[in-house]
Amino acid sequence: MQIEFKVNGKEHNMNVQPTIRLVDLLREELGLIGTKEGCGEGECGSCTVIMNGKAVNSCLVLAPQIRGQEIFTIEALEQDGQLSKLQESFINNSAVQCGYCTPGMLMSAKALLMVNSHPSAKEIKTAIAGNLCRCTGYNKIVQAIQEVAVGDQKLGT
Amino acid sequence: MDKDFKYVGHTFPIHDASQKVRGSLEYLSDIKLSDMLYAKLLLSPIAHALITRIDTSKAEALPGVMRVFTHLNTPSKTYSRYRIIPNQEFCLEDERLLTDKVRFAGDRVAVVVATSKEIAKQAIQIIQVEYKALPVLSTPEKALQEQVTRIHPEGNLLYEYEYKLGEQLPVTEDCVVVETVTNTQKVHHAAMETHVCLADFDSSEKLTLWAACQGVFGVRTIVADFLELSYNKVRVIKVPMGGSFGGRQETILEPLTAFLAKELRRPVKLSLTREETIISTMTRPATTSRIRTKVTKEGFLAECSVNTVLDAGAYASSSIDNTYVMSKKICKLYRISYYEHSGKTVYTNTPVAGGARGWGAPEIMTAIEIHMDEVAKSLGMDFIEFRLKNLVHPYDLDKTSQISLGNARVIDCLEKGAKAFGWSKRFKRETDQGRFRRGAGLACAAHKNGMYGGFPEHSTMTLKMNEDGSFILNTGLHELGCGTITSITQIAAEVLDIDPKYISTLEADTEYGPYDFGSYGSRVTYICGACAFEVAKCVKEKLLECASQILQRPIQYLDHKDGRVWVSGDEQHSISYRDIATTAKIKHNTDIVITHTYHGTSNPGAYAVHFAEVEVDTATGKVRVTDYLAAHDIGKAINPGMVEGQIQGGVQMGIGYALYEEIKVGNDGSILNSSLKNYHVLNAPDMPEVNILLIEQGGDEGPYGAKSIGEIAFVPVAAAVVNAVNNALGTSISNMPLTPEKILNALGGKKHAN
Repeated sequence: MQIEFKVNGKEHNMNVQPTIRLVDLLREELGLIGTKEGCGEGECGSCTVIMNGKAVNSCLVLAPQIRGQEIFTIEALEQDGQLSKLQESFINNSAVQCGYCTPGMLMSAKALLMVNSHPSAKEIKTAIAGNLCRCTGYNKIVQAIQEVAVGDQKLGT
Repeated sequence: MDKDFKYVGHTFPIHDASQKVRGSLEYLSDIKLSDMLYAKLLLSPIAHALITRIDTSKAEALPGVMRVFTHLNTPSKTYSRYRIIPNQEFCLEDERLLTDKVRFAGDRVAVVVATSKEIAKQAIQIIQVEYKALPVLSTPEKALQEQVTRIHPEGNLLYEYEYKLGEQLPVTEDCVVVETVTNTQKVHHAAMETHVCLADFDSSEKLTLWAACQGVFGVRTIVADFLELSYNKVRVIKVPMGGSFGGRQETILEPLTAFLAKELRRPVKLSLTREETIISTMTRPATTSRIRTKVTKEGFLAECSVNTVLDAGAYASSSIDNTYVMSKKICKLYRISYYEHSGKTVYTNTPVAGGARGWGAPEIMTAIEIHMDEVAKSLGMDFIEFRLKNLVHPYDLDKTSQISLGNARVIDCLEKGAKAFGWSKRFKRETDQGRFRRGAGLACAAHKNGMYGGFPEHSTMTLKMNEDGSFILNTGLHELGCGTITSITQIAAEVLDIDPKYISTLEADTEYGPYDFGSYGSRVTYICGACAFEVAKCVKEKLLECASQILQRPIQYLDHKDGRVWVSGDEQHSISYRDIATTAKIKHNTDIVITHTYHGTSNPGAYAVHFAEVEVDTATGKVRVTDYLAAHDIGKAINPGMVEGQIQGGVQMGIGYALYEEIKVGNDGSILNSSLKNYHVLNAPDMPEVNILLIEQGGDEGPYGAKSIGEIAFVPVAAAVVNAVNNALGTSISNMPLTPEKILNALGGKKHAN
């Protein structure tokens, strides 16, 4: 099937199998390997991307569902060679260990901050409830998100 | 430890953090080679059976399928997934690439190699297998009782040992005798990246393996010997991995993937799904520990008798050593006049057990710390007071190894931790009566620092100075996500007195790097860190010798700081590291490069005391951990931010171990929860704040006094949480995990008994 959609601001018009999952489309067809797969059933959140302003598990989204949609992946957070404040905050708060959950975690945090620039710790924990991390125990991740939870929260800031 | 350091003791992000937040770091699951083929496994759906017929013809006929392998066209020789070096003891070779007799639901039956993942998956589904079912021995009890059915020809009892230490003294006074039985369960390591392996066999007859592993030399010795290749023809490269926790310690997928690449003479990638990773790779072993102590009325441990049974699952892997090390832990924590330990390792028709964070320590420490609470209750003694009478003191000898426990500061952890946590206010002397009941629990724990005393223990590194004065530190290290590379770099930077950004620390590669046993056994900071410290000292000496020649002053008249060397008292008369390195090469024919082997000569204890507060909903049986404090005797925290992260991550894993996580195996050997949908991993809302208290007293041979943290961080957690639940409810539950059903049963039983 032919579908049109936007990824990280770029228009795509592709002929794809209707059964292809968004995570495969991003990783295999578009080479955006920052989106990770950890379970393939929407339980771990490693494959989280932002679709029309909401954090979604890209392993549960099939090609027909992305027709006409705007998708942002981890690769969109850095702009003009500058890491976003959220990315910087993860680095500065030791919130990154093995790093496999990090892109999904960042995208869930970004989706929250786009609609709520001053979330409480509880709201942050709820927003990343679907993102599993086995290394950090979440404390430093919550702290990292809280530290940037002020100001303008457009993508790339 | 009064010296202020420039780099050691300061927080640095993990070395590749900026790539990780960009999503640009290539993990093994991201790497693609041109011409690469995809392998897919057929796993056994049943737990114990002979394969009577296997028909792969339809799969072979599928376009895109390159080859299909079963036990019929793969070598019948066996190997051990656990071996680290040749001639290693207790490495039973009981495993084949593909089996002719399935021993657990998840055993490897066949593999398809195809041009795409999808084709390989389709092909797997059309392989026809006929099984002749055998009786399933799903627990160690069943396996030991069974007279006829043998999982392996040698029998179901894999290993048995017994030893006694000290003398049973005639006890003149009345003693209390307490016996407890603690069960710990199989759990999934749950590293976020599933298991993957990539191999290539090129036209020069060389095998290359890209391995997300904890020990490249262990992988090489197993794979090279299995395929009968000389070691110089096998290159194993450590690549980025999404967590390990012991789950990638053993060589699980590499022998098969290497075989496939060699047969097909093309790169082959074998990727497992989450379900395949849960059931077919490795689990933490399930254990039962029966502990019986005789304690004087004053509260001194006179005798301790421990019996453990460890469920190895279907293959031996590391279970013999795992059973053995369980007997080596209690005497690192408590002074006991007489200690005896007997242990059994048993094959069952269940997933294979193997290395898992803490290696036997979490299992036995959970048992002893639940036991200690029960003893204190029997004596009517305060839990802390009772422990203080028995805990080891600095520089005690480890009764089991006769090696010094070093500057063992567990008493500090207990006393200072209890105060910081507010233990006396939180511990419930009377059980709450409402629906929601709170309680507090604590647990002490001991672990180790490397393998000295039981295994060879050394590490080699090469440190070379570039012409511009920057450095390359070549190591056999494996970054598992713990910050190893960063902390080792900090150590070298501190010695060389140069910003860490000018030192690149390389990870393990069997072809280009020096030898090291790997990242396990809590040896990395203590042993490899000491190696980094020493090699940097040697290089600094050489650097100063060169500076001395250039400046024409004896070394003792030279000072150095921030990458410069000068004549004492005359800072104008200085030379940069860059000029030293370049001048040494051009004028003195000297290359500043040192290879150094450090060998360990000590193995002090690493200690922790954890405190948990829980709230139990007596209507549902659900437990919430409401507060947590972890006190650690770490000697010196090289990178405090990463140390805290290790501890908080250990607590996350440990709460799951105490309350939720279990790979459940049915009576027929089927796996009842093989997905993250029904295997609950603690998420952010479930996770308490973890307050941390570090005791940094140094005093041992680690770099700048540092001791291990990654494993010990997990060791006391489950016992602290279980003890807190028992305090909240007035129960004595010791059968993990403490699921709502078990809690409601315990409450029901208690009510009934009342």
